[in-house]
Amino acid sequence: MDRVIGLIAANFETTDMGQLTEERTVASLPYGGAYRVVDFPLSNMVNSGIKTIGLITPYKYRSIIDHVGAGKPWDLDRKSGGLFVLPGSVFGIHSENSHFLLRDLRRNMIYLQRSPAPYVLVSAANVISHMDYRPIIREHIRSGADVTMVYNTCDRDEPHRLGLTVENGRVVGFKPNPRKYEDAAVDTFVITRELLMKIMEWYAAVDYLDLFEAIEGDLDKMDIHAWKYEGYVRQTFTSRDYFDYSMELLDLDVARELFSRERPLATKAQEDAPAKYLEGAKVKNSLIANGSLIEGEVDHSILFRGVKIGKGARVRNSILMQNCVIGDGAVVENVILDKSGSVNAGAVVKGTGDATYIKG
Amino acid sequence: MVNKKQFIAMLLAGGQGSRLGALTKHVAKPAVSFGGKYRIIDFALSNCANSGIDTVGVLTQYRPYLLNTYIGTGSSWDLDSHDGGVAILPPYATETGGQWYAGTADAIYQNLDYINLYDPDYVIILSGDHIYRMDYRKMLRTHVENNADLTIAVMTVPWEEAPRLGILAADESGRIYDFEEKPAKPKSNLASMGIYIFSKKVLEESLIADSRDADSEHDFGKNIIPTLLSQGKRLFVHRFEGFWKDVGTIPSFHETTMDLLEAQPQFDLMGKDFPILTQDDSLPPHYVGPKGSVDRSFVANGSIVLGSVEHSVVSSGSTVEEDAVVVDSILLPDVTVEKGAKVIRAIVGEGATVKAGVTFGSADVNQPIAVVGDDAVVE
Repeated sequence: MDRVIGLIAANFETTDMGQLTEERTVASLPYGGAYRVVDFPLSNMVNSGIKTIGLITPYKYRSIIDHVGAGKPWDLDRKSGGLFVLPGSVFGIHSENSHFLLRDLRRNMIYLQRSPAPYVLVSAANVISHMDYRPIIREHIRSGADVTMVYNTCDRDEPHRLGLTVENGRVVGFKPNPRKYEDAAVDTFVITRELLMKIMEWYAAVDYLDLFEAIEGDLDKMDIHAWKYEGYVRQTFTSRDYFDYSMELLDLDVARELFSRERPLATKAQEDAPAKYLEGAKVKNSLIANGSLIEGEVDHSILFRGVKIGKGARVRNSILMQNCVIGDGAVVENVILDKSGSVNAGAVVKGTGDATYIKG
Repeated sequence: MVNKKQFIAMLLAGGQGSRLGALTKHVAKPAVSFGGKYRIIDFALSNCANSGIDTVGVLTQYRPYLLNTYIGTGSSWDLDSHDGGVAILPPYATETGGQWYAGTADAIYQNLDYINLYDPDYVIILSGDHIYRMDYRKMLRTHVENNADLTIAVMTVPWEEAPRLGILAADESGRIYDFEEKPAKPKSNLASMGIYIFSKKVLEESLIADSRDADSEHDFGKNIIPTLLSQGKRLFVHRFEGFWKDVGTIPSFHETTMDLLEAQPQFDLMGKDFPILTQDDSLPPHYVGPKGSVDRSFVANGSIVLGSVEHSVVSSGSTVEEDAVVVDSILLPDVTVEKGAKVIRAIVGEGATVKAGVTFGSADVNQPIAVVGDDAVVE
């Protein structure tokens, strides 16, 4: 796959994540008890043989840089190729909810210019999947298309995704606000490097646009192929998505697919002992990371590393990020508790089924 | 150009550990999995990292393949350094031929060139066999303060264990006046932990002399230490208080592991201020299913518990299927206990499978701990 370089758009910004992205980006959101959202496209690229990857960061880049470092967990700390951190722009019109902001792509044009690879695989950072890009790239090269976009059929209304009109394997139209059973892009595509650079030149004057907003007018002139992905894939855009999709990992089939030991998901290494269960621990239907210490009850929940559950505490339907402490006898339900959060002994913290309570 | 180092470590990791039976059939004892996600050698390597030692020679001989790949560049212990770092030192050939390491002293002797490369003032000789946390800097301080030629880390042990160990006697200042390797009738219960700090010059001289002695077994305990003692060299003890265990037998491996499960264990794997570092393989959190249950146990990342786990260690990547029961046992990494199987007071080797419905091990404490080796299938 030396003919392909990767590009991850980790510059997506939104206010729909509430407190979860106050201090971090969507890309660096903790996910699945041990990972960050960006680990998915990053690992998928590396596991698909892509050895040069550019990561476009947003303005709030501290958490993402802290996580990816020099790319060592993904074997991207290379002399040749490896990880390139591409800073997004601070200035200009603040563009929320843009998936592939032209300005940030253009700012990092040099990454594309310097590469000898004819193709670029681009993914948004928030695509949660165990996708193998190799067949998509092969098909793109075989067909000679300008762009090959990955899509699937929505299994619910997904207003933040880009709806597609697909006819005979070609993308012939975009439409906002895709509904259940309609087709939508999964924000992963292969594009010819030269074309990507040309698009940036053509649309230089309107670089506040999203890449696909820009090329919508030229759809009839471009040969855009559609690749249907049948595996598990989710894109987190809102805190609701984050909670619902996280909880889907408690379905063993989903977990086995995403966390497959073949083409494994890599992340920054952590040093924690295995999780320890003491007398009184009662855990069901949950994901529990190393370093947790459990003396209470946990049901239908995700515990990141180093979480402590006190004696007689009850945790249900919740996500507890790393180093949270739940005091003895406390009750926690329908809650996302951010890193190092604590609930005092005997306290009761409850969200409702619809309105998850997020505690920073 | 190699920078001079004050203090380097030589880690003996070549032993088979034959008393661990099936567990060391395919790997050397230091590479045996311990504590759910570690390997025994992690403890000595972590002690080096936590003691600020950045140059470690690891001497391998018996079935070194897993150990070599495991240690790799040493990055797991932050030992992947341009200046020093970890070096794997297997036996090698020269223009006059080559030979296996004939003993612990011979292994170091054959690598004097490696030591001299760094021109250290002090060399600590470690064994990759033990479970403990120790700041070697404190021991070095004892060594320097005593102006010693050799300092031996010691601890008091129960008298019944003394005949298995190197037993010594020291005066009030800590100076050693007697040493006996595995004495039939021990005169004291002060035991050597197999951790030695040598002043480099003394180490080099004594190893060269020993290499020329045709009658020597080339062993630190049997030859080097008694010789230095008889020459009137300055040998001192460094008293260690804390947990130290040789998990070299099946009963001690099992018992030491079971103690980790206590609410107040003698050795706390979870201690953060002196972390045990290991090769982390980015496994997902472990999953406990709707009918799973776990009680008084360690469960590592990558595991799936759909059955019942009680007072046991489930190491990385293991699976306990529906209606399976694991009690008082140790599942090493990547074990599968199939539906309805029972594993009781047993150690199951890496990658092994206990087939559906089978009972492996016995709750009868008069029976030995059941053990099956790596990749075995228990039918």
